[in-house]
Amino acid sequence: MNKLVEKRTVDMQIIGDWVEPGSRVLDLGCGRGVLLDYLQQTKQVLGLGVDLDFHKILGCVRRGVTAYQGDMEAFMRAFPDRFFDRVICSRTVQELSDPAAVIIEALRVSRALTVGFVNHGYWKNRADAFFFGRKPRNPVYTTAWFESRPANPVTIADFEHFCAAKGITVTRRAPLRGDWHTPCTFRPNLFAGYALYDLTR
Amino acid sequence: MNDAEEDSALMPPVPGEVGLVEAHDFAHPASFTCESGQVLPGFTLRYETYGRLNAARDNAVVICHALSGDHHCAGIHALTDPKPGWWNNFIGPGKAVDTNRFFVLCANVLGGCQGSSGPSSLDPRTGRPFGLTFPFVTIRDMVRAQKLLCDHLGLASLQAVIGGSMGGMQVLQWGLEYPAFVRRLIPMATTARESAQAIAFNEVGRQAIMQDPDWNHGDYPRGGGPRVGLAVARMMAHITYLSDASMDLKFGRRRTAAANNPAYTFDVQFEVESYLRHQGESFINRFDANSYLYITRALDHFDLTAAHGSLEQAFAAVEAETLSVAFASDWLFPPEQNREIVLALLRAGKRASYAELATNLGHDSFLLESEELYALVRSFLGSPSSP
Repeated sequence: MNKLVEKRTVDMQIIGDWVEPGSRVLDLGCGRGVLLDYLQQTKQVLGLGVDLDFHKILGCVRRGVTAYQGDMEAFMRAFPDRFFDRVICSRTVQELSDPAAVIIEALRVSRALTVGFVNHGYWKNRADAFFFGRKPRNPVYTTAWFESRPANPVTIADFEHFCAAKGITVTRRAPLRGDWHTPCTFRPNLFAGYALYDLTR
Repeated sequence: MNDAEEDSALMPPVPGEVGLVEAHDFAHPASFTCESGQVLPGFTLRYETYGRLNAARDNAVVICHALSGDHHCAGIHALTDPKPGWWNNFIGPGKAVDTNRFFVLCANVLGGCQGSSGPSSLDPRTGRPFGLTFPFVTIRDMVRAQKLLCDHLGLASLQAVIGGSMGGMQVLQWGLEYPAFVRRLIPMATTARESAQAIAFNEVGRQAIMQDPDWNHGDYPRGGGPRVGLAVARMMAHITYLSDASMDLKFGRRRTAAANNPAYTFDVQFEVESYLRHQGESFINRFDANSYLYITRALDHFDLTAAHGSLEQAFAAVEAETLSVAFASDWLFPPEQNREIVLALLRAGKRASYAELATNLGHDSFLLESEELYALVRSFLGSPSSP
């Protein structure tokens, strides 16, 4: 549990470093608004979250974070080009059935898109599948297959290929080792447990 | 971001009751020009308040009622009252709108018939009921009249304005009409522009009233009038406040006790018929037919888009933070129309949140007991105000 909280904090700190103070930030899959609350406190951003679940919106309202309950694609379609300074998609892309559509729409409504995801190409995740023949289970993905939502796992190599194929410019990348803290400079698809990307068009 | 459980963070205290309350009358002595250009020589608003106004006079919350509602939204008038005010589950000590914190004010709308000036009031110039000589009123007129009441009470600002349905329209109007006066808006189950379907239902109600010979072009004695027409209007409207699922749950095809013999008659046979007839009957004893015409017309005319060129322009002046709440099964003012309010506020650069409750009880869901709704409103009213 403690390890999970620590890992979340690292994610937040890097995103916090990338976010411009006072900017207008949209968080897709905002959960209970922890990240936006942090960005509002440390970067004075104008935050807005989108999530499907009523209780997540309730959590946001409790924190003083504005949030919209609904589908993120339909939500973004209601906004003009470049309305937001930055869209954040932290640990959300692996939940999407059509990630390309969301990412491309996010790059339309904002100047920059930050994507953070667990790298399923990380050697331990590969080892889980290779040695045990089982779906990976770890402090982040705690549930067994039959307790899990449908997911669309992504690796760093998959994501790099996607950006190249769609002509999306990667302005910053931050692959992190298995501790989600130390920068990973060598073969990130194998040795990074988590990756953050900053994208633009 | 996904989080661990934290739902216990804001446990409400055990709620109490507002208890015995009484209504007051605010008489505005000066003439009041309605949006229609027609002039009232003066007007009265009947209102109730709960909780205490603080020394800074800035802890007030205004509640706006719906079409058939009134100023009596919490507490009881006498110990023998069979029912408390219409939003008693929502307002009181320790409740979602906490009267230990807030000074709660609710007034019967202008044009109404529960003590505020309306077509059934006596025209001081003739000594007879206004009837159809009462000016056409709009949602904006209702809000302007409430602001005069707030000024009369010496309120410095409002912590929040809250209302569902027609009350939600007033909430929106409050936010754009008096931006510096209002800190938070909670419009529920409402719309920024009355849809064709909603206008259609209102028109059927009005026709039921006006086709009743006892309506007599609005000229009828107090207590008289088109009782049949008004009851039919109410029965029809009441269906639009429910849902297929909730009616099936509540009544199904159950027969009334009196209809045990399966005779082929047009007497009441199904429980749903008996329920609607009861709704109609009780309505005619408390509501005025002309008021019904005037207020439904005010609903029909409500269109912030047309009034301001666009919804974004309508909301350009808003300073308050908004929490919009819709109900999945509401087909009178469906979620989509509530979403449109929030999207326009956001496009206009305002702070606004949208939440949707998955009740199956239709438009009237906003009145029902829901811990989720209470938690949402309590959190919003307790959250730090806009930076």
